[in-house]
Amino acid sequence: MFNFRCVFNSASALCRQLLTPLNVNGTISQCGSRRLPQQRPLFLSSVRHQEAEASTGKDFSYFPPMPGEDSPLRWAGKKFEELPIIHIKATYNNTHIQLTDSSGQSLVRTSCGTEGFKNSKKSTPIAAQTAGISAAAKATVKGVTFVRVVVKGLGPGRLSAIKGLTMGGLQVVSITDDTPVPHNGCRPRKARRI
Amino acid sequence: MARHLRFIARTVMVQDGDVDTAYKTLNRILTQDGIIDAVKRKRYFEKPCRERQRKNFENCRRIYHTEMARKIAFVSRTNRDDPWLGC
Repeated sequence: MFNFRCVFNSASALCRQLLTPLNVNGTISQCGSRRLPQQRPLFLSSVRHQEAEASTGKDFSYFPPMPGEDSPLRWAGKKFEELPIIHIKATYNNTHIQLTDSSGQSLVRTSCGTEGFKNSKKSTPIAAQTAGISAAAKATVKGVTFVRVVVKGLGPGRLSAIKGLTMGGLQVVSITDDTPVPHNGCRPRKARRI
Repeated sequence: MARHLRFIARTVMVQDGDVDTAYKTLNRILTQDGIIDAVKRKRYFEKPCRERQRKNFENCRRIYHTEMARKIAFVSRTNRDDPWLGC
């Protein structure tokens, strides 16, 4: 199976390596020593590689176990692919939290609105935290302990929802970012002039 | 990314229940890859003329910063061979 992890890492490193020669050609450098900007992207990707592989005495890697390879990591006897998922949609006005199992069947659904907050109070980190705590409470009732988190959107409740989940008693195993980035698809609304 | 395999890209494992560090790592990776920047920019539409101005400005800024960093690194060298050896 083609190793997506290596592709992703090398792709981002490649993009940076492609960018720097463009900048170097644009400079009016008289010295001509072009080694420094080119060395930096290699350093960045190698640092991340070291971070990912540097065992803090425990063989911990920041990368998740791939679905093809068998890793010995288990959480409550479940493999990484079988853990339930918590989707956090952090919009600018509200935060929704939904717990689904690994196949996508919804189990628990909370949001700042269901917690009793209204209007502008929903778009606060505290509301997201309360939603997280209540979602974790409902999840423990259903017998869920270890959970993967998927965050979507850049809103005020992005981090505090995860904090609320841990405060409510759920164990977070991994954090994924699923913020939709269009490759220039739909035209967004016009710029605000405040 | 709905059309791609899930839980491969933009994923960070949490070590010893330390959610804060994992979130910071994820945030750092996303900013370094320019995703946070792109999402903030695409919230409202950016007219093509403004986009060209911004790209030009960022180019100039990048050139300025790399040159300045080079100069500072050059000036702040301490251990070096004697340039006036033999005089």
